[in-house]
Order: sequence, then structure tokens, then C-alpha cells
Amino acid sequence: MAHAAAVQEDVMLPPPSRAPGAGVYSEKLGMWIFLGSEVMFFTALIGTYVILRFAHPDAWAGHPKPHTPLNIPVTAVNTFLLICSSVTMVKAFAAAQDGIQRQLRLWLLATVLIGATFVGVQVYEYTHLIEHGFVPSQGLFGSTFYTMTGFHGFHVTMGVLCMIYVTMKAFRGKYTQADHRGVEVIGLYWHFVDLVWIILFTIVYLI
Amino acid sequence: MATTATGTSPFTYDHGHAHVDDRSFIRKYIFSTDHKIIGIQFLIMSLTFLLLGGTLAMVMRWQLGFPGKPLPGGTLLPDTYTSGGVVLPEFYNSAVTMHGTFMVFFAIMPLLVGVFGNYLIPLKIGAPDMAFPRINMASFWTAVPAGFLMLAGFFVEGGSAAAGWTSYAPLSARSDLTGVHLGQIFWCVSLIVLGLSSIMGSFNYITTVINLRAPGMNWFRLPLSIWSLFVTACLVLLAIPVLSGAAILLLFDQTIGTKFFEPTAGGQPLLWQHLFWFFGHPEVYILILPAMGMASDIIANGARKPIFGYTSMVLAIIAIGFLGWGVWGHHMFQSGMNPTLGTTFMISTLLIAVPSAIKTFNWLGTIWKGQITFHVPMLHALAFVSMFVIGGLSGVFMAASPFDIYIHDTYFIVAHLHYVLFGGSLFAIFAAVTYWYPKMFGRMMNPTIGKVHFWLTLVFYNCTFFPMHQLGLHGHMRRIYDPTQYAFLKDLQPVNTFISISAFCLFATQFLFAANFIMSWFRGEKAPNNPWLDNGLEWTLPSPPPHGNFATVPTVYRGPYEYSSPHSDEDYIPQNVPTPGGGYGSPHPQHAGD
Amino acid sequence: MSHPEAAPGRPSHAHPNYILIWVFLAVLTGLELTVAFLPWPKTVIVFILIGMAFWKAALVGLYYMHLRFEPNRLRILAIAPLPLFAVLVCAVITEFIW
Repeated sequence: MAHAAAVQEDVMLPPPSRAPGAGVYSEKLGMWIFLGSEVMFFTALIGTYVILRFAHPDAWAGHPKPHTPLNIPVTAVNTFLLICSSVTMVKAFAAAQDGIQRQLRLWLLATVLIGATFVGVQVYEYTHLIEHGFVPSQGLFGSTFYTMTGFHGFHVTMGVLCMIYVTMKAFRGKYTQADHRGVEVIGLYWHFVDLVWIILFTIVYLI
Repeated sequence: MATTATGTSPFTYDHGHAHVDDRSFIRKYIFSTDHKIIGIQFLIMSLTFLLLGGTLAMVMRWQLGFPGKPLPGGTLLPDTYTSGGVVLPEFYNSAVTMHGTFMVFFAIMPLLVGVFGNYLIPLKIGAPDMAFPRINMASFWTAVPAGFLMLAGFFVEGGSAAAGWTSYAPLSARSDLTGVHLGQIFWCVSLIVLGLSSIMGSFNYITTVINLRAPGMNWFRLPLSIWSLFVTACLVLLAIPVLSGAAILLLFDQTIGTKFFEPTAGGQPLLWQHLFWFFGHPEVYILILPAMGMASDIIANGARKPIFGYTSMVLAIIAIGFLGWGVWGHHMFQSGMNPTLGTTFMISTLLIAVPSAIKTFNWLGTIWKGQITFHVPMLHALAFVSMFVIGGLSGVFMAASPFDIYIHDTYFIVAHLHYVLFGGSLFAIFAAVTYWYPKMFGRMMNPTIGKVHFWLTLVFYNCTFFPMHQLGLHGHMRRIYDPTQYAFLKDLQPVNTFISISAFCLFATQFLFAANFIMSWFRGEKAPNNPWLDNGLEWTLPSPPPHGNFATVPTVYRGPYEYSSPHSDEDYIPQNVPTPGGGYGSPHPQHAGD
Repeated sequence: MSHPEAAPGRPSHAHPNYILIWVFLAVLTGLELTVAFLPWPKTVIVFILIGMAFWKAALVGLYYMHLRFEPNRLRILAIAPLPLFAVLVCAVITEFIW
């Protein structure tokens, strides 16, 4: 770049330093750092669950076998759906990298729809559970279950809203091969939310 | 605005430049994205809460110094607060709680991080603004409703939160036990909202320091104020979400009947303490590290000498940042926690004294044989070092869990925390406000008033807090409304009265600072670009700097502490001055005697 | 394929096989569902399930979030908070099992 050429000429300038900063553009760096704070937020919630389960395992008697109040088959399908939405998201990003607008728009739209479906299924599961008396105040199991999955669902919902915004921008042609930072950044958030669910599904439903 | 259409890429140095901001008053000063304006907004907000927190302390000290006597103005307060003007126990508990809450979350933390993080970081690294200016604006405007919500607690039925600033559960969850319902809920929600503000600020600061440094501003040419703000931002990023999580759990226990901390249902009160202090201990390092960093800048300036041991200062800051995660249990030695776990915390806590001690010796090494200018910021910075040492030493005693058996939850702890938070953080804040006031407002604060304020504060502060060590060793417990109910404390009442009178004088003295601050804004002597003859990049700019900061991107050739260098006729060399005759300047800060 | 230098953060590698990763994730999920209900000792099941969950998480992180191809500095930033989870949970569990 022009600056590097100038440095070789001009001994008055400081020696050429290594690539400044993290080596990635600021918006991506900022999102990774923000995700660090999200890891700590879920640390508090998931850590609480693990700790309470060690402290008072009787509250989870019967779970997951022989008889759990939770609907594992439906949630397993929901988990698969969320993983699919990560695939559609990354395909959208790949389309942006390759500059293929049509694919970018369609994969983003697919991500929005699958994400919204995931939330819908979660809400359906909640209403079902509440009808059968499994409520947050029933004890430690209910308290931890609703808090962890509820805040995860809240994060997915925020993600879907941001994803709608990004999709609308994509339909207006605002993302190009030269600059599609918004797509990558929302993608990182979306994959993170999927990653947290991968952990949650296992430790909340299957253990 | 500084961010161009293609954003802030690290692969070009075209960050955006100083320019005249010709937008409306509201866009310039109310909903501003300029880090300097946002820093000043945080300053006004935090100083207001500092005054409020201090007022609550006066209520507490009145009751402790003159138990059962009507509070001046007490009859104006509602019946739930005072009876015949006498402070009621419920209001006392409320004052204790809200004093701590306001001071920690709405005064000291935003003063250090929100004000100086915002103001100094872009200027001192040579950037036009933060990486994400709009998120910066959102961070301030999220903190404001959090503050209002916390204040609102005083005006609801049951009064404000009253379970201590640490809000231990299940007491804080059980309104049937405390009589406080909405107030505790507001406490939780307010901190959750404030947490969002802090997190937004922290990832902004971290990204900015990593990616927006000017050419030549290597990591080891950063001023210690920026190093400390950077590590602090990392602590904020990682610790605050844990508090948010804990506050959510408590909120759910309070509102929807979850059982996280309810012992009868298998919940664990100790879980609250572990979560809270896992956040709470990094929080106290958040409250001291920026103070240490800014004090370092000011001490080097006042001594006209480079900081002694710059590299070890940086490593000490990083070490404190790391080790701070492993000591939280020392707040819980008497909680009934696993004693072996307690022992591990004792060891880690004793260890963490080492980097702070290294810093203290380096401050001493900096002023040793310096040409000291006792300007007002230097006075405060020197007081910071000495008062912090006292607070740190009492901390070493407390780290030993056998000793802690006797002084936990006594005034010995109150003495310690005020020596580090007031003697440490607040003196450093006075230093920093006075030091950067000319840059912020284009005017100098009055030095005579500044010196009178300093000396009176130093004397009254020590008179207030030093005797608390003695009280604690005698067994005077914390948070108690009426110590005279115990025969063994009755004899200490004169000490309590002495402390209270000193506290009233200390509080009154702060109005000198407030008056100086306000009057100087309009009538202070106009400030030159570099009144303190400091090397930082901000002092190369006008006071106050224009929107967008630097007219052209500065190039940095040297570290920040090249005072009394043989390379210059002046006793300082700003960081953007190349060495005459070629060469790249010194790769590390000048060492004395080179 | 060519990638113009103008775009920030442009990776210089071909796209990973995202569909293949998806297949791995789906298979692992199916395996988890099977293992969870096998008549094995609880501890064994827990270890296997957690291992599989972390494997899936690693796949998402490395390939979908592109950590495999990012500079080392970013990878260190990304995993930095994880030890804190371990510290909190391991320390507090000793209250109940030691």
C-alpha cells in the first residue's frame, strides 16, 4: 500500500510496524469481543444450572429417564432446524463473498424463516409445559430450564430481528463483494446463538 | 463524522479528520456521537450521583454520631423514612444500601471508565473517535434510565433496596421478610440496564485500542492510563455479564417464584454470593486500575521524569487483570463456604498484593530525585499513592482467613474499602478531573481553591476513615443502625461522633471542588494547548479539541514519558515529535540517566 | 477463485464444504439422542454427550464462524472467556462435592 512505499523512502518515519491491530476489520473484531461478553452471560446461567444440579440432584429425579416433563423429540427436530439455519446463514455469507446477490438474498430469507420457526416451536413447547404444570416456580428444574432456554430464545429473537434488517438491506442491494461486513457480523452472532443451543440441548434435555 | 462510508479499516490509516461540526444543538451536545462530549455527559451524570451518594452517607453518619437525635431537615422526609425527624432503621438500611450502590455503579465506575475511558482513549492513541461512535452514544443514553430507575426506588412503596449493595439472597428476594418489594426489583432491573451500557462501552474501548492506534503507536508506547483502561475494559466485558445473569436470577426469585436462592426448595444462598463476588472482585479492580493508570501519567508529569519501570507497570496491570479472577472467595471467608476452598482463595489473594506493590515501588522510583512540580493534580496523585498503600496493607491482613474471622463485616472492612475507593480511586479522580479539565473545557481550574480543597479533604478524610480501623478491631459491626445497644460498643460512641463530625466537614469541603468546577467553566483562566507540559497526543491539540480530533493522522515516534530527556532543550518531548537528525526515536521510554 | 484486495477481512481460501459440516452436525446430534438413552452408567453417558456437544460447537466455531482461517490473535480472543467458566464452576462445585 502507499504507506508502505513511503516508509521505505522516509527515514523520519517510525519503522514499519506489524499489521496494526487484530488483523481484521473493526466491526468483526467488535462482534467477537461482544460475543465474549455473551459467553460470560451464559456462564452465569449455565454455571448456575450445573452448580445447582450438583448441589441438589433430586430436583431432576426422573430426568431424562425414565420420564421427563420435556419433549425431547420435538426439541431434537428444533435443534436440527437451528443447525440448518446456520448452514443457510453461512451459505448467504459465501454468496456475499462471491458477489452473487440472488443467492445472498434467498439464503438470508431462509435463515430468517427457519430462525422464526425455531422461536415458534420453543413458544409452543413452553405453553405445553406450562399447561402440564411444569412452571418456573415448580423448583430448581423449572427455574433453571426456563431461565436458560428463555434467555437463549430471547437472543434468537433479537437475532431474527437483526437478520430481518440485514435481509432488507440485502434486498436493496447494499451488500457487495467488496463490502459485506454486515452479513459476516450478523452471521457470527447467529452461529454463536446456534453454538449455545448445541450446548444447551445436550446438557438440559439429554443429561 | 469520523467513520467514513467504508468504516474503519485497519488496512489504511485514513481514519477521518478534524472538522467543524455544523449540526443542530441536539445532535452536537445531547445525542452526540463525539467521544469527548459523551465523556463530559458521563462526567456530569457521575458527579451528580457522587453528590447523592455522599448525602446518603451523611444520613448514615448522623445516625451513628448522634443516635436518636432528629436529622437536620428530617421532618421534611416522609414518615416511612423518619419519625419526628429521627432516622428510622428501615431508612438507615436503605441509606447504607443506596450509598454503596450509587457510589460503586453510578459514581466511581462511570467516572473512571465512562468519563476517562471515553475522553482519553481516542485522543491518546491518535484516533478521530471510538470505533463505534453510535454505540458509544447508546451506551450513555442507556446509563441514564438505569440511574433514574435506581433513584425511583426511593419513591415507591416499601422504599428503595435495603439489603446492602451486595444484595445477598434470600433476604433480597423475600419482600415478606424485608418489607421492600419494588425497590429491590428496581435495583435488579437498573443494574441489568446499566450492565448493557457498560458492555457496549467495553467492547467499543477494546476494539478502539486494538485497531485504531495511530501509526507508530505500538503497544509499548501506550500511556499507562490507556493500558489500564484497556485491561479495565476487558474486565468490564467479562465480569458485568455475570452480574447481569445473577441479577436476573434474583429478579426471577423476586417476581416469578423461581427457587435459585430459596433454601427450602434446594436453592443455594451461597450461589448468589459466589456469582456476585465472581463479578464483584474484578469490579473492584475496575474501580482501581484506571485510577492507577492516570495517576502514573500525572506522577511522571509532576516529577518531570519517565515512569520508573514502564514495562513492569504494564505487566503488573495485566497480572492484576488475570489474578483478579481467582480471588473472589476472600469476600466469603465467613459465609460457611468450603474451608479448603477458602484456603486457596487466601493464597491467591496474598499473591495479588504483589503486582500492586510493584506499582507502588515504581511510583516511588518515579518521584525519586525528580524535579517535582506540586501542581494540584500531582498533590492528589501523591495522596492517591499513600492512601492506596494504607488500604492495600489492611487488605493484606484481611487476606489471611484466620484474621478475617475477627474483622469480617466490621468497620475494619469499611476502613479498608474507603481507603482504596476514596483514598485511592477518588483522589485519583480529583487528580484526573483537574488535569484534563483544561483539555475538556478550555479553561484552568483555580489552583488556589484546588490546593485548599486538597489539603482539607486529605485531613478530614483521614480523620473520618482511619479511626474505623480501631472501631473494627474492637468489634464494631457494619451496617448497624444503633451500636449503642451493645454494652461493648457504648464506650466507642465518642469515636463514632468524632468520625461523623469529620465526615460532615469532609462533605462540606467537596463544595469547594464543585464550586471550582462550575465557576471555572465560565470564568476560569483560558487554557493553552499544553498547560502541564505533558507528552500525550491530546496536548498537541487545541483545548478543547475539534470534532474529529486530529487535522492529519499523527505519527508516533516515542513513548509517553520522555521527560527531562537529553534529546531536547525542553524537559518534555510529545509523542509525535521525531528525533532531529533522523532515526526512529527511542523504541522504549527514556530511562533516567541515558 | 480470485478475491479483490479492496474488501476488508477477505479470506484467501476457497469456501469450506459447509454441507459436509452440516452432515457431521446432524449425525452427531442423532448419535447424542441414541447415547442418551442407552443403558450405560450415567457418568459415561454424561462424558460422551458433553464431548459430542463440544465437538459440534467446535465445528460451528471453526468452520461456520471461520476461526480456522482467522489470524491467531482473533482465535485467542475468541477462546479467552472459556477458562473463566471452568474457574467459576469448578470452584463452586467444591462447595457441594468436597
